[in-house]
Order: sequence, then structure tokens, then C-alpha cells
Amino acid sequence: MAMTPRQFEARYESSWIELERGLDALDAGRKARRKAGPFPTGATEPPGAARVAQLYRQCCEHLALARERAYPVHLVARLDALAARAHQRIYRRHDLGLGALRQLALYRAPAAVRALRWHLLVAALVFVLPAVVVGVATWIDPHFVLTVVDAKQVHQFDGMYGPQAGERLGRTSGDDWTMFGFYIMNNVGIAFRCFAAGLMLGVGSLFMVGYNGLLLGAVAGFLVTRGDAERFFSFVVTHGAFELTAIVLSGAAGLKLGHAMLAPGRLTRTQALMRAARETSPVVFCFAAMLLVAAAIEAFWSSAGWIAPAVKYAVGGCCWALVFAYLGLQGKGHDAAVLGASER
Amino acid sequence: MTTLDTRLLAETPEGIAIQLRPAGAVPRGLAYALDFLIRLIVWGVAAAFLARIKGMGSALILISAFALEWFYPILFELLPGAATPGKRALGLQVLMDTGLPVTPSAAVTRNLLRVADFMPVAFAFGLLSMLLRHDFKRLGDIVAGTLVVHAEQVRLAGKLPEAEPLAPRVPLTRAQQVAILHLAGRARRLTSERVDELAALAEDALPPPDYAPGGASPAPIRPGPRLIAVAQWLMGQR
Repeated sequence: MAMTPRQFEARYESSWIELERGLDALDAGRKARRKAGPFPTGATEPPGAARVAQLYRQCCEHLALARERAYPVHLVARLDALAARAHQRIYRRHDLGLGALRQLALYRAPAAVRALRWHLLVAALVFVLPAVVVGVATWIDPHFVLTVVDAKQVHQFDGMYGPQAGERLGRTSGDDWTMFGFYIMNNVGIAFRCFAAGLMLGVGSLFMVGYNGLLLGAVAGFLVTRGDAERFFSFVVTHGAFELTAIVLSGAAGLKLGHAMLAPGRLTRTQALMRAARETSPVVFCFAAMLLVAAAIEAFWSSAGWIAPAVKYAVGGCCWALVFAYLGLQGKGHDAAVLGASER
Repeated sequence: MTTLDTRLLAETPEGIAIQLRPAGAVPRGLAYALDFLIRLIVWGVAAAFLARIKGMGSALILISAFALEWFYPILFELLPGAATPGKRALGLQVLMDTGLPVTPSAAVTRNLLRVADFMPVAFAFGLLSMLLRHDFKRLGDIVAGTLVVHAEQVRLAGKLPEAEPLAPRVPLTRAQQVAILHLAGRARRLTSERVDELAALAEDALPPPDYAPGGASPAPIRPGPRLIAVAQWLMGQR
């Protein structure tokens, strides 16, 4: 006769209780353990991590036996809950923290961006081509700008970058801090949406990237014909290094999602999507961070009318070089190892 | 024993299947509404205070609106408990579909992709996806590999009521043993009449009503208590 449920429970219950206590202690965390101080006697000390792992494996075995032998539901449910709780605690991934952030910034983000190079190329073309075409068209015939934006907005651009803009470039109202908040809310939000729009087979991302390019081209072309080129380009050059790159990055990441949906290869569509999301998530962190930097620069540096355009061009050029060097070269030798590690 | 419910099984490396109970569109919708309300109130209060700070105040108001929109769910889902206050109120929790705690990049992915779920209007894509799938994932969940589950397990069966053990009339198959143990485990939640009614279905396996180990002839015992006695016998109380 096999062991009856009663004997089973009597024999192993102490190990389940020990595991419960161990998990309670781990949940209470380091802080609580320190506060409690050293335990007065060995008997009350909860089991350590190694013992918890051992008890967990035992508990799994008991659960399998209990299910296989059709023990009563309350017994199986108890073991089930205990095993689930221990499983969560033991297999938890520890990828929060400064070490992980450093790893992300130094290796994973640039490697993930480089892995997206073809999507980046497409997104960049979709951004640059409309910008150039509309820019040139507007330059030839300033009225063309009205096909992209309405007259009220054109008037606004005029106020932002025209001679009357004076010391404060690129805005109609608001001080530096207000604009900083606005740029964060607006720009990062747009980039997040651009990424998420990739789930519409990538079309959404391409549309948003293209539309932004179109707008930039129209504004630039219009202001050049008005003779405000220097004010406009000296405003855009510095934060553009981060902002325009980030928009293209978000478009490329969204495009990758859409690509995975359209052409999943040898995976199922769901698997392909999950994989694409895993691969692009460092890119998401990357463009969000770049947009925060861009917002700060745009609010406090780009808008400052008293800084000579030559200085802005020099600093802006350095920023562009910096961004491209970071994305193109940082940790380049380690790409295979970094991408392989994030597979898991 | 497959039933028509929505349970999912996640297998651990130890070969154990852990049961998950995905949450459907209604509790998740309510949780979202609750979160929305909480965010609105927090932002309103914060804005009222921040408005008094000159200069930086207006930036902080905009930044807090941004953070509440995008980072509120990410932050709460990465804290212990893995649920926003709204989800917590409804007893929900976010997990990876392997049953593990949600990872930072999955939390970010699922929350950023909420935008895609919102399209074209009022979470139509997300709702459609939840209604079509047996695991109630919205698009963001599919892509991130996450699952919103009911955190609490439902316990229909508890400990068996105490009783003197009685041997069944005939040897029982495994399925019969399981059925009897299940019913006995639920006896505390049912009225004694209902237990009798259900136990009567197993009359063939139960000892006769006038059965008594001593040999005396007591009053006939109702089927319910006899079934519980058999369950105790099966539990190993001899």
C-alpha cells in the first residue's frame, strides 16, 4: 500500500513549514533581518538561501507525488501555492540596479542599435527624404509650406525664429523651465507613440517618422526663404543631434516590431514579436534618455539668443559626432557577446 | 480533469506545472479606471502645490503629468506585489507568462505598447485581443510576454471534516477515490442536505446505511456522513 495522504502530510509537513518560514524571511528583506539582529538560538533562525533552494526542490517533488497519487485537493493546493511562491522568489531576475544600468548604457544599448542597422537606414531615409523634398519645394516656392501646415502655424514659426524672436528662440511663450517640462512631455511621448505604432505592421512608425521629417523640412525651407536660416539652424543643431536621432531610433524600433509581425521567419508571429521586443527594449531606453538630454539642451541652450551662432554650430557639431560615435563605436568589439547574453 | 475554466499552466525547470488564473477584460478595465482616477487626483494635488513654485513649478507640473502617464504603471509593476494600486485593489498582479516576476524591460514594453492597444479608439485593439485570446492578453502583453493574473488562488475544497473512518463497500478506482475526496473536501461549504444528495450518487461504493463495525444495529446513517467517513478511510485513517 502506498503512503496515505495522512502519513504523507505527517512526514513532510515540517519541511513545508520550514520553507514557508524561509520565504517569509527572504520577503521581509535585508533591512528587517538587520533590524531583528542576530537570532538568540539556532532553533528560531529561518533557513538560509541555500536551504530554501533545497527545500523548494523537495517541495516540487512532493507536489508531483501528491498530484500523481491524487491526494486530496487541500493538500495539493497547499503544495501548489508554496511551490509557486518559492519559484517566484528563486527564479527572480536581478536586473534592476546600477550595475545593470551601466551595462545597458555601455554595451547593450549601442549593440542593440547597431543590430537594427537596416531598420535604422529605412527609418532615416523615411525621415530625411520628405524633409529634403519638402524643404527644397518650400525653398523654391514659399507658398508650398501651406500644403503641410496651416497659416496660423506658419505665423507661429515666424514669431519663434523671425527677427522679433530676439533673445528667446524657438518658442512663443513660456520660460526655460516650462519649456523643459513641455519638451519632455511632448517629445518623449511622441517617440513612445512612434515606437508603439510599430505594432500596426510598422506603418504607424513610418508615418510618424515621415510626418516629423515633412514638418521639419517645411519649417526649415520656409525660414530659409524668409532669411531666418541662421537663427533656425543654430537653434536646431545642438539638440537635434539627440532629438532627431532619437526619433529615427524610435521609428526603427517600431519598424522592427512591424517587420517581425509581417515576416516572422521560422518563428510563430507571437514568438517573433516577443523576440523583437526583447531585442529593441535597450533601444527604447536609449532613445528615451536621448530625448531627456535633448529637452534640457533645447530649453536652456538652444533657445538662448545671446550665444553666438558660431558657438552653437561648434557645440552642435561636437554633439552630433558624440552621438554617432556612441551609437557606432561604443563597445563595438563586444556586440556578439552582449546580444548573445540578452537572448536568454 | 480538464474543466472549462481559464487556468493556464506554467512549467518550472523542476517539471512542476504552476497554475495561473489570467484576469479578463472587466477586472482589468476597472483597475485601469481606478488607476486613471488615482493618477488624476495625484496630479491635481501635485499641480496645486507645484503651481506656487515660481519658474521650476510649471516644468514640474508638466514633468509630473508625463511621469504619471508613462512611468506610474512601470514603477508599480516593478515594485513588490507587481501591481498598480488599481490592480492591487482588484486583486490582480502582473507576471511573466512563465509565472515569474515581471522583468524591467517587459514592464516597459507592455506599458509603452498600451498606446497600440488604445488604437483606433478607446482600447479597441486591446479589448479585441483580450476577447479573442484564452489568456486575455492585450497586445502589449503578447509582445512583452506578460500576463495579468488574479493573485489569490480560489480554494473550493478545504480540509476534510473529522469522522470515524469506514471502508468502502467495494475497491475503488483512482477516479472514484478522487471524486470522493473532492466532494468531502467541499463538504464544509455545502449544506448537509446537498452533501447527502451528492453522496447518494456514490451509494454503490459507500458502506450500507446500517453498517457498524461493532456489530450492533444502530440507526441508519445518511449518505453524506458515510461518504466523509470513506474519505477519511482513503486519507489513511484506519
